[in-house]
Amino acid sequence: MKRFDLIVIGTGLAGLTAARTAIGMGAKVLIVGRGMGALTLFGNTVDLLGEIPPETEMAEGITHWIAAHPEHPYARTGWEGIESAVAAFRELFPPPYPFAAPGRGNSLLPTGAGTMRPTWLTPITMAAGAAMTPAETLIVGFRGFKDFQGDTVSLHLKCRGVILPLPRYGLEGLTAPALARLMDETSFRERLGESIRQQMAGERFIGLPAILGLRDPAAVLKTLETITGARVFEIPMLPPSIPGTRIFHRFREELIAKGATFRMGHPVSGAIIKDGRCEGINIDNPPLVAEYRADRFILATGRFMGGGLWAEMDRIIEPVFDIPVFQPGERGNWFGERFFDPEAHPIHRAGVVTDADLRPVDAAGRVVLANVRAAGSILAHHQAIEEKSREGIDIATGFLAAKRALAS
Amino acid sequence: MTKEEKPGPLTKLPDVCVRCATCMTACPVSRVTPRFPGPKQAGPGAQRFRSAAEASVDDWIELCTGCRLCDTVCPAGVPISEMNMMAKAKYLDERGRTFRDWLLVRSDLFGEMAARYSKIVNPLMKKKAVRWLLDALLRIDRRRALPAYEYPTFRRWFRTRQAPEGGGPEVAYFYGCFTNTNETDVGKAAVEIMEAHGLTVVVPPQRCCGIPRLGVGDLHGAREMGRRNVDSLLKTVRGLDIVFSSTSCGLMLRHEYGPLLHLPGAEELALRLFDICEYLLRLREEGKPAATFQPIPMKAAYFAPCHLRSLDIGLPALELLRLVPGLDVSMIEAECCGLGGLYGFKKEKFAIAEEIGKDLAEAVARMKPDIILTDCEGCRMQIRHLTGLRVLHPVQLLRDALERRGTA
Ligand SMILES: Cc1cc2nc3c(=O)[nH]c(=O)nc-3n(C[C@H](O)[C@H](O)[C@H](O)COP(=O)(O)OP(=O)(O)OC[C@H]3O[C@@H](n4cnc5c(N)ncnc54)[C@H](O)[C@@H]3O)c2cc1C
Ligand code: SF4
Ligand code: SF4
Repeated sequence: MKRFDLIVIGTGLAGLTAARTAIGMGAKVLIVGRGMGALTLFGNTVDLLGEIPPETEMAEGITHWIAAHPEHPYARTGWEGIESAVAAFRELFPPPYPFAAPGRGNSLLPTGAGTMRPTWLTPITMAAGAAMTPAETLIVGFRGFKDFQGDTVSLHLKCRGVILPLPRYGLEGLTAPALARLMDETSFRERLGESIRQQMAGERFIGLPAILGLRDPAAVLKTLETITGARVFEIPMLPPSIPGTRIFHRFREELIAKGATFRMGHPVSGAIIKDGRCEGINIDNPPLVAEYRADRFILATGRFMGGGLWAEMDRIIEPVFDIPVFQPGERGNWFGERFFDPEAHPIHRAGVVTDADLRPVDAAGRVVLANVRAAGSILAHHQAIEEKSREGIDIATGFLAAKRALAS
Repeated sequence: MTKEEKPGPLTKLPDVCVRCATCMTACPVSRVTPRFPGPKQAGPGAQRFRSAAEASVDDWIELCTGCRLCDTVCPAGVPISEMNMMAKAKYLDERGRTFRDWLLVRSDLFGEMAARYSKIVNPLMKKKAVRWLLDALLRIDRRRALPAYEYPTFRRWFRTRQAPEGGGPEVAYFYGCFTNTNETDVGKAAVEIMEAHGLTVVVPPQRCCGIPRLGVGDLHGAREMGRRNVDSLLKTVRGLDIVFSSTSCGLMLRHEYGPLLHLPGAEELALRLFDICEYLLRLREEGKPAATFQPIPMKAAYFAPCHLRSLDIGLPALELLRLVPGLDVSMIEAECCGLGGLYGFKKEKFAIAEEIGKDLAEAVARMKPDIILTDCEGCRMQIRHLTGLRVLHPVQLLRDALERRGTA
């Protein structure tokens, strides 16, 4: 039986970050996920803390914010922890497809809902979105492409908009992955660029749905910018997210190349616990159950959608290790009155509480499993959606969990 | 037929789908054509509207290749490909299957005969007139090379060869039809590499695993094939482990006989079935006698077949190949070769298979390898067709890397 130094449960951004950090430290790593994680849902840019105003410098804003939120996952990592984790993330994406922060604080980027949304790092294909002005921008949608309503976006952003037919017959109804794949084809994007150019009335910016290629987005960007003479940017839209898929593929490629064992498609159905430690996990692959052993474990199974947290009638549980979960009160109080309440729904605060080392603790603050750490959105006391801190929490805690696990 | 042998109702309802569209990033078919709505709609989306009492309207369901990649990424555990398979079965049960499909799934029956007369059959299959006839009458696309037959078959070779001094622990080998009649060297290499690991190989009576029948939704036929295999292989596993070298046969035997086809005894069989590279790697990890490899200075590209991803055992072939000194091996970053078993031979699907394969061909062109290695016979056929390069099963290269003790 192969014994791993570390098993990471979860193939979302937190798990991928943890696995990559550990591989970089020379560990023998197994990463396992039931499915692909939320990268293909929301993964577009890297948010650290969208809540702080754009004029505030990020380091300063987060440092202050941590002081006011001592239970938040960021209080475990500190600004330094976030900074080094984000730097490591950026190293994974060298040019021509780098991630960078357009400003010293949050930058506002247009979204597929026609709003401006604060974020920290953007891929090169979205960078120009932070500089665009409504009067100088043309928003381009595609006829028959349902996941991006170009006219809604241009209406809300107060830009000019056009809906173009795709440059090849019979493509209406194509999905985002199909369009992104076509964009990787030089002749296709050249024809598209040409038809955009014909629609331009002196605009300096062009916004397109985030489908600028799966394999080589930088090349797609370059072609379109050369033909149109304008700065082109991708606008994040409905799932599936192409930029998120690129992030996932890059991590998977790196992990496999560096020798990690990568398993995906089946759930971890249980853990082997002895004397307050986890010795191994079971993966359910009917009709078989595979057992894997390791010295350390990182739980990065996300929240309700991916199954990291599970809501029973009267309480919320963590199904893999049955780790104690911070409860958001009675079920009747789990949700606020309105869906888009600016105050987070109380259920969003639920999650796993840890010590400074990211080891889960019970209500009395005692470590429950000495060699298990938790990372990512499963952690309690954050409101990733409202704070806009999703990727920051994943990257910073995934990084820290791996460092601490291997130091132990 | 007794009740428990029938495929049961789907235990997991389509309602567990959260409509996240993650599966849409994985599907090779909807990525290249709008004619297939993709796993989200074809699986759980349409499932909500299907009823046993009403005629099927799933006119596009045959376009699903059954690659199961969608299952590997879904975060909610929706059995998407199984839903598609059941829908395909109902659709084709109602509409009737073509003579071509009837013929193709029975290649195991005429394979032995074709192999015996391969000197006549092979040139015939290359004749333009014959291909034109097959194309016109049976809609087997004439642009797709038909695999040549080999004689003696693997079975015959194994029976008549001078077996080496045995004595090591016994292991049984499931070679699969294609190895037997079309790629006998894969079987020979499998035997040699196992013997080099100190094992004594036995070949139990076996038949086609039945996966081609699943491809045309013929559950009844697949179950018949499965039942005969389970009956004979159960006798074997009540003492020995069985290894397979074809990922698709392996997936069928290990994970479809039980969970999908509900064959009695399937679970007992599954417990002792292993992919050949998985098995060899395990022997090495357990410190059992292992072969050493001599240098093969070469640039190799490894492709992980869809059904290997679905087996979800990591990439044991890649791990073994990395043990060969001098072999510079890297992964082909592509999701699917496009052949889909018999799918790519069918005239109406040829274009889709080619389009899917294009991504793989381009990835290979960027890597410029000397040789390509992949575990699935379908992938090997398709990659040869797409790239013109030498494509082997990993065990063939491992066999070539064996240190010849004294002999040749
Ligand atoms: C993750 C997620 C969570 C959501 N949660 C909520 C929520 O809590 N509350 C809420 O109000 N909204 C929610 N929504 C949004 C809601 O699901 C969508 O607004 C709504 O489903 C859109 O419906 P639609 O019919 O436009 O499109 P689709 O969702 O695409 O539905 C079309 C349906 O019609 C079927 N169909 C299509 N053609 C045919 C045909 N010819 N014959 C038979 N059937 C056919 C399809 O198979 C499919 O099931 C959520 C969406 C997502 C992605
Ligand atoms: S089995 Fe393959 S082809 Fe069929 S829907 Fe799933 S991913 Fe697409
Ligand atoms: S990945 Fe699963 S949950 Fe998401 S849309 Fe596809 S079937 Fe539904």
